[in-house]
Amino acid sequence: MIAWIRALASRTRTWFSPGAVEREFERELATHIELLTEENVRRGMPPEEAKRAARIRLGGQTQLKETNRELRGLPLLETFFQDARFAVRTLRKNPGFTAVAVLTLALGIGANTAIFSVVYAMLLKPLPYSQPEQLFNVFQAQPQAGVGGTGWSYANFAELREQNHVFSEMAGSQNHQLTLTGRGEPTVVNTSVITPEIFSLLGQTPLLGRAFLSEDGKRGAAPVVILSENLWRGTFGADPKILGNSIDLDKRSFTIVGVMPAVFRFPVLREGDQVWIPLVQDPVFSSWMSGRGGHWLQVTGRLKPGISVKQAQAELDAFSERLAKEFPAENSGWTIRFVPLQELFVGGVKSGLLVLLGAVGLVLLIACANIANLLLTRATSRAREIAVRTTLGAGRSRIVRQLLSETFVLGMLGGLAGIALAYAGVQGLTSLLPQDLPQVNAIRVDHFVLGFALLLSALASCAFGLAPALFAANSNLQSSLREGGARSGESVHRRRVRGFLAAGEIALAMVLLVAAGLLLRSFSKLMAVSPGFDTQNIVQADISLPQFQYSTPQQWTAFSNELLTRLQSEPGMGDSAVVVPRPITDGFINLGFDIEGSPAASSSASRTANYVSVSPDYFRVMKIPLVAGRLIDKHDVASAPRVSLISAAMARQYFPNQNPLGKHISFAFPPDSGAPREIVGIVGDVRDVALGQEPGAMMYVPYAQSPFWGANVVVRSGLSSASVAAAIRRNVQQMDKDLPVTDVAMMTNSVEGSLAQPKFRTFLLGLFAAMALALAATGIFGVISYSVSRRTNEIGIRVALGASRWSILRMVFRETLVLTSVGLALGLPAALGASHLLGHMLYNVSANDPATLGTVAATLALVAAMAGYIPARRAMRVDPMVALRHE
Amino acid sequence: MGGDKSEILQGTLDLMVLKTLDAMGPLHGYGIARRIEQISEEALQINQGTIYASLVRLMHKGWISGSWGTSENNRKAKFYTISKAGRKQLHTEAQNWQRISGVIGRVLRIAERS
Repeated sequence: MIAWIRALASRTRTWFSPGAVEREFERELATHIELLTEENVRRGMPPEEAKRAARIRLGGQTQLKETNRELRGLPLLETFFQDARFAVRTLRKNPGFTAVAVLTLALGIGANTAIFSVVYAMLLKPLPYSQPEQLFNVFQAQPQAGVGGTGWSYANFAELREQNHVFSEMAGSQNHQLTLTGRGEPTVVNTSVITPEIFSLLGQTPLLGRAFLSEDGKRGAAPVVILSENLWRGTFGADPKILGNSIDLDKRSFTIVGVMPAVFRFPVLREGDQVWIPLVQDPVFSSWMSGRGGHWLQVTGRLKPGISVKQAQAELDAFSERLAKEFPAENSGWTIRFVPLQELFVGGVKSGLLVLLGAVGLVLLIACANIANLLLTRATSRAREIAVRTTLGAGRSRIVRQLLSETFVLGMLGGLAGIALAYAGVQGLTSLLPQDLPQVNAIRVDHFVLGFALLLSALASCAFGLAPALFAANSNLQSSLREGGARSGESVHRRRVRGFLAAGEIALAMVLLVAAGLLLRSFSKLMAVSPGFDTQNIVQADISLPQFQYSTPQQWTAFSNELLTRLQSEPGMGDSAVVVPRPITDGFINLGFDIEGSPAASSSASRTANYVSVSPDYFRVMKIPLVAGRLIDKHDVASAPRVSLISAAMARQYFPNQNPLGKHISFAFPPDSGAPREIVGIVGDVRDVALGQEPGAMMYVPYAQSPFWGANVVVRSGLSSASVAAAIRRNVQQMDKDLPVTDVAMMTNSVEGSLAQPKFRTFLLGLFAAMALALAATGIFGVISYSVSRRTNEIGIRVALGASRWSILRMVFRETLVLTSVGLALGLPAALGASHLLGHMLYNVSANDPATLGTVAATLALVAAMAGYIPARRAMRVDPMVALRHE
Repeated sequence: MGGDKSEILQGTLDLMVLKTLDAMGPLHGYGIARRIEQISEEALQINQGTIYASLVRLMHKGWISGSWGTSENNRKAKFYTISKAGRKQLHTEAQNWQRISGVIGRVLRIAERS
């Protein structure tokens, strides 16, 4: 060990002062020669002869010095830097080659790094909690009824928390929006309604003040609130004396006890302004706490260290059986599932991102194949240089090392340029990304992503550098020297490799083009889909009523009635209505229902439909047609008999061969849960869940009979959206100056906004496919034009012997044709395999859509033909005299 | 790079250099080369330059040290001295060498007889 360190130390000395060591050695050798000369003279040689003999005896001084350098220095490192310097010189001498190679690589590395930064931020980066891998979301599930996972009732949750031995801590939460007043404009603030343990569960201490105590969670405790740092800095100007002050949420006073730092997020995906309040203080959820039947509380737990997932599941199974035994009405048939928190929130975007990552990886592969081809071409024309080096005594490994250093320098240059591209790309990406994706704001090129980019560059250098270097070092020395270098014939083997690379590029490009084509077709079909209502000229806005002030359904109805009366009396705004929830842009409320006179549905074959509460003019505003019966009208008020409309799909699905009109349905939903409602009309189908989802069963009830503590207003008007929005705000303010109007938007925009993710995917994949196509075309062009320039002589002879220009063109073109056909033949199965991975992202397009496959194959063939045509035309015009003299 | 020159040859030269320094005390490169030639009764006509590679190797291992001094006819020359570790190494190596050459000698005798 010590010897090793000493050797390193003495070697490092050389490293720092190579000149001094070298001079010392020269001096030593000089003395040696002098001494030897003297000896020779003593033996009787004439002085000149003596000196010459001494030199011979010592051996070649240059070689001695070289050996000495190698022995004394750090040979690998030193030769690497030597090689790198040499490589930079060589690359500078071939600016065209260098620019093309670096640019190609930069595109590949840049695109990969940018996409990886997104993948890293969304999928890989650990959640900002202490030991996030121990955190799980715990669900109640009813697999046989298709309920994969839902929330808990508070009573069940409290029992689980007390009785289980596998979670060290558990907390419940729900989300809500409350109206924050008394601070300028009334605003709606995102509120997380939680049990007090959440902060210690996630391991976060407050920036200011304290977290909730268990006393805060008990009934009768004083209302307290914790603010997010963002809200504190924004709305409250980072007031250091904020603690102890109070704010009004839904017109009720809450004392501020703490501020949470910005890094803390709960719910996981929410950033920015938000408050946390104890569950008991929430106007809605606190009243639900006593029941056992509901499934509304989200439960998060921290698994004890050393407890396996299997052990935990066993204990939870036992618990759910116990619950079912004790409270069969609420709990029979329910099991418990738990899912890692991280997995839960990336689930929706994972497959899309992985497809993009795969696509961009293919682009890099194509780029590497291209550069490898360029290098092979160059290695062939450098055969003479390499032969000379070998003759002068460079070993094979030394040559390979030198060539690899060259590709390494190339790789690093490309990598650096790629990183620069990635910085720009990430900025572009984040502005393009749908804002509802998780962690959008966390996407950046940080050190981890940089490390990835550098690693990728190094790997890419190996990928495109190794084969050419090995080929070059193996070249036949004698033939290279004899045939005069630049014009020497290329080995069949090497030509095959080049051809295979070009064909491979076409195959990879085909995979990407097919994927992009399928997504594009699917997206255009989605865009063309009719949602069943007309979104043109509709302005929407949300008004949410504070529940401490507006606490009864009568008040809610009165509010919406007055608001609609006021809006409809505004000029040009006669078509105004209220709806909860809106199709597509809001969530949907799916309820099980019973049909009077039919046997109750078993839980396995339950009847469900989406529930919507609307004011009478809703169907006229949205242009949803009446199919049979009548629409809701102004007589369907709370005191009148309960009525409902159903969608055509619901009529088809649940009333086959019957007339649903006059039948009664009932469902469990407040205010009058379980009351029978007469079906008075059938309306047209609407895609209310998503544009890409077929219309399902829907039932509409009069808002006056089933109001909400808020209303989404929809107004169809020829006026500008700004003046409609202003009119809505003005009227709401006149009714109650403390009511916020939020989410004002054109309905067209928000419906199109629901396509943001597929749009983003399609755009990026299209971009990558275009890059792949361009790279593959360059590849073909390179191979063919190189082959033409090699064969100039041959072509000249052929022409001289009477070959027609057309036959020359055909000959060169045949090469393109072979490359392209091999590429397409390889690409077709690969593309078919890859497109099946897209499966669920496709709408109304089959993964092996023949039209797409055909178009892609034709496009590729055409582009390849064009890329091959340019050199072929050059070949056709070869002048035999020039070509023959060329040698 | 000399990677092909067998380890044994290099090791042999190193061993000879060590033995020479052990027997003669501090010597410069030329002196060592001459001494080895004389001892081998001029049978080993080495390329004198190879001595220097051997010297660098031995220095790296810490078995010899070098310092500049004045030669017998007033020239500046680098003198090499064997170190304590070098003596120990010489001792082990010499034993090894004798054992191996003994074995090889026996094997060769057996081969001749059969």
